Amino acid sequence: MTFTLRRRELLKSVLAGAAFSAVGPLRPAQAAEAVSWLTWENLAKDDYLAALIEKGGISIEKSFIGTDDEQFAKLRAGGASSVDLITPGLDKVEYYVASNLLQPIDLAKVPNAAKLYDTFKATTLGKKDGKTYGIPFYWGINPVVYRADLMDAEPDWSVFFEGEKYKGKLAMRDYALEGIMIAALYLGIPKDKMFDLDDKQLAEVKKALIAQKKLLRTYWSSIGDLTNLFATGEVVCAFSWVPPYFDLTARGLKMGMAKPKAGVIGWCDTLAIPAGVSGAKLDATLKLVDYLLGPDYGKKLAYGGPYAQSTSSTRDALPAEQQEKIFIKDLSVMDSFVWKANPPRYTEWVALWNEVKAS
Amino acid sequence: MAFAADRGVRLAAPVALVLVAGCVVPLAVLFVYSFFKVDFVAIVHDPTVKNYVRVAASATYRGLIGRAILSGAIVAVISAVIAYPVAWAIAKRVYLLKSAYLTLLLIPLYTGDLVRIFAWRVVLGSEGVINSFLMWTGIVHEPIRALLFSPFATHVVLTYDYLPFMVMGLWLAFESLDDRLLEAARDLGAGEVTIFRRIVLPLTAPGLIAGAMMVFVLVVGDYLTPQLIGGSSGITVISAINDLFGTAFDWPLGSAIASSLLIILGLLVTLAALVVARSTWGRSVVSGE
Repeated sequence: MTFTLRRRELLKSVLAGAAFSAVGPLRPAQAAEAVSWLTWENLAKDDYLAALIEKGGISIEKSFIGTDDEQFAKLRAGGASSVDLITPGLDKVEYYVASNLLQPIDLAKVPNAAKLYDTFKATTLGKKDGKTYGIPFYWGINPVVYRADLMDAEPDWSVFFEGEKYKGKLAMRDYALEGIMIAALYLGIPKDKMFDLDDKQLAEVKKALIAQKKLLRTYWSSIGDLTNLFATGEVVCAFSWVPPYFDLTARGLKMGMAKPKAGVIGWCDTLAIPAGVSGAKLDATLKLVDYLLGPDYGKKLAYGGPYAQSTSSTRDALPAEQQEKIFIKDLSVMDSFVWKANPPRYTEWVALWNEVKAS
Repeated sequence: MAFAADRGVRLAAPVALVLVAGCVVPLAVLFVYSFFKVDFVAIVHDPTVKNYVRVAASATYRGLIGRAILSGAIVAVISAVIAYPVAWAIAKRVYLLKSAYLTLLLIPLYTGDLVRIFAWRVVLGSEGVINSFLMWTGIVHEPIRALLFSPFATHVVLTYDYLPFMVMGLWLAFESLDDRLLEAARDLGAGEVTIFRRIVLPLTAPGLIAGAMMVFVLVVGDYLTPQLIGGSSGITVISAINDLFGTAFDWPLGSAIASSLLIILGLLVTLAALVVARSTWGRSVVSGE
């Protein structure tokens, strides 16, 4: 196809364009406000967001993160001006607030926030001086996953610290915070004291972790890798995330998922708005936040993730089996969760973790 | 002449600029950070040597730096032993398709770290090629689990990964080695060991040194292989630095460890260069005597 443009036609087009842009500001409702969302890839699938986009008025530009630390580093390095919504961990919001990177969220403009589960309403994480900077978005637990065909009984935390039966067939995540939390749970340190361990407690934790290291096959750092280790039988039991359980069960392996009575580590990611977002952009961002806490998105996430939203928006619409799958059938289970928080002596925790691994 | 020299300086300026901007400045920033301290998420620009004291006082960080250097040296030596005959064969015994052999040698490098690591897992794993074969022959009845996720496995894979760098260095040296020197030595009654020690080794030394440096530095900086192959003992000084920069947000301490490692490596390389320069064959290499 050939396309020619004469001078007169060009002039006409330019004039028409100028006229259009002159009336443009009179019709803002017609233009979709673009909201830039920095998040995990699995949370921003097109079909999850379709119900909002179809209504019009908003378009979403997605960019993805690989780790929470990467997200923080990006914002610290001046990336806050290019994003309108971020997805930090509930325990990490404190970092962003201390760095003046976030703005408080006006909950009156997020009606679905009223449906937050009590645990999330009550938590002090994600808040400062009574204002919410990170609204709990979705959550889950990091359980013990095991090969039910290769283990006699459902394990608890002690399997990682004592006995020789599964020596060399266990794996632990290479992450100081959770590694030390698990040792503290095993040692019976109360949940409310867990993040303020004193020197004596840290010494006990270190001793337990050194004993643990002798039982481990490896420390895992990517969930895909751990899934692989389960599949090849290198590892029969690990402190894990839930995906290997679902993935390998779907592939026909007999997997088990244990939630030790001493306590289970719960995680939650939040929605947070960088400090510079304002005006129509802020309104559109809040609209997206409300959608992400609402029933349409919640249902997609419950089946697609499968993960639970932090609100009850979609809970009653899910069959019991699906509720069970994402841990919202019996909500009292949340009482046994330990939500990750930042220990004041975190550098020492990381040093201890490295000492254990280098021992 | 003055004009030519001046032009040389001007032509070299962009290269120097790139080197300064891409290499010296980031390292200088890292070095400066190592004298700061951290208060939660704020870097406090208050000069202190505390971080270096912490590195020196910590058996863990000292041990990790020492372990990295030892691993680098072990892998450099093993790859030199393997690479000598390979490089010699390619340089002196292959006449046709020489470049095909060299390409073949480099193929593993095209595949990327992770592919090589997972390929080795298939070879060394409990249900892997070696264990399956040993069980099939009846030599063992239980898989040898130490084949994978052990320091042994890490060093095998590191040697495999970086061997081509050593072979390339030595191959170039062998290509310029005059065979008539070896013939003359033989005619004068020298044994094979003497020929290697007094002729081959000194004349291929530049390749050996270049290859060894490459392998050494690459091994010291590799943390993915130890992490994914080394099992519970797979910690490296690099992964410890990564932890400090990432999860702990202690950039100053991370910078201090990184700077310490860099300084120690610099000293070792200088020391090695001095030792080589003072030896007879080192002098002959440097001055071409």
